[in-house]
Amino acid sequence: MEHGFRPDYMKILKLDEEECRRRLDFFEITEEDAQRLVSLRSFAEQWTQEITEGLYELIMRHPDSRIFFPDDATLARVKRMQNAYFLKLFSGSYGMDYVRDRLLVGAAHERIGMPPKLYLGAYRRYLALIHEKLRDHFKSDKAESVKALASIRKLIFFDMAIAIDTYIAAYLETMTRHQAAIRELSTPVIKVYDRVLLLPIVGTVDTQRAHQIMETVLVQVVDQQAKVMILDIAGVPVVDTKVADHILQTTAAVQLLGAQTILTGISASVARTVVQLGVEIKRVHTRSKLSEGIELALSIVGKKITAVAPRKDEV
Amino acid sequence: MASGPIPILKLGSILLATIQVDLHDTVVDAFQHDVLEEIEKTGSSGLIVDISALESVDSYVARMLANTAKMAKLMGSETVIVGMRPAVAATLVRMGYLMSGITTALSLQEGLEFLSNNQNGAVSD
Repeated sequence: MEHGFRPDYMKILKLDEEECRRRLDFFEITEEDAQRLVSLRSFAEQWTQEITEGLYELIMRHPDSRIFFPDDATLARVKRMQNAYFLKLFSGSYGMDYVRDRLLVGAAHERIGMPPKLYLGAYRRYLALIHEKLRDHFKSDKAESVKALASIRKLIFFDMAIAIDTYIAAYLETMTRHQAAIRELSTPVIKVYDRVLLLPIVGTVDTQRAHQIMETVLVQVVDQQAKVMILDIAGVPVVDTKVADHILQTTAAVQLLGAQTILTGISASVARTVVQLGVEIKRVHTRSKLSEGIELALSIVGKKITAVAPRKDEV
Repeated sequence: MASGPIPILKLGSILLATIQVDLHDTVVDAFQHDVLEEIEKTGSSGLIVDISALESVDSYVARMLANTAKMAKLMGSETVIVGMRPAVAATLVRMGYLMSGITTALSLQEGLEFLSNNQNGAVSD
């Protein structure tokens, strides 16, 4: 049994009774389809093995899809599951239990990392195989064969929609988690000395990040009762009017709290842009190097870095 | 004697007002009146307004506080606003209200230190 992180896709996709009913309605799956499929149960039991073999013939012939089934035991297991999947198409009951089952199938494909192109491509072969068997089964009664195929196709598309929704939900989940991680990493406030904090800003500053920077900076200044906040912008690739504005807002807010901001890491090109853009940086200490900023910060809290005889360390 | 709901305490040559009620317009008007009366009466040289209990400050209140500080200064009393909360600072800045010319400090302690440095170490006389 695997104990990995498994989101509840029923909940994420809001697949409640009402939604399941709406989906069935949209795919035009009617009571008539259900009855027709139930009547084909013996057909399904007769041919499921052969159809499954035909499906895996395609999958195992292509290296892209073969790698998902590394050994015979796995292959035997997924073939058994495929038969169970097939028979369930002919169960005649397509309520919540059915949807839950189909969702697990979709989630399993997503979890092993099978790309949608292979998943959908294999379905194409699957439908072709079913079609072939239906033609043989109904022989002369062509009209009935067409109706049977139509009913099966409705359900298969219904299943595929659930699987694709699961794929998308899974990707969104991953993205959300990554974004949260990036947000946390993007504002590491460092205590340089008692009452002196440093925030190195690395990467692009957009509005959302700027708000987050301001919030973190202000909370940290108050929490640690910092007198000086050093903002090092050496790692910000482009400082345009917007970025400059965000930074100045933060420094103004820090000042309202009763602390000071030192802006460091201002390169020649940043200085040029800022002046050319006409951004006025007033009431903020600025330095080009972080080390100079730290010296200034220490002097504000009444400390000083002085030269001493180099210490000989014996380990 | 203060007529508004905000007590103004005298600490040597400094006045201390701790705001612990919601500052709606009438309260802040009364506060300004009381503070200026008190400065006139006591001739204090410093005023500390502690707003650490305030969870929000609107633009009217911010302007009134800043104006009060300017008026106090005209009367020879340096004002320090202390204990502003991060969310309040962020809101004021986003509204474009920078309270220029106003001295702020992180805490009451800091505010007292600032004023005593300004008066060559004399907190009390």
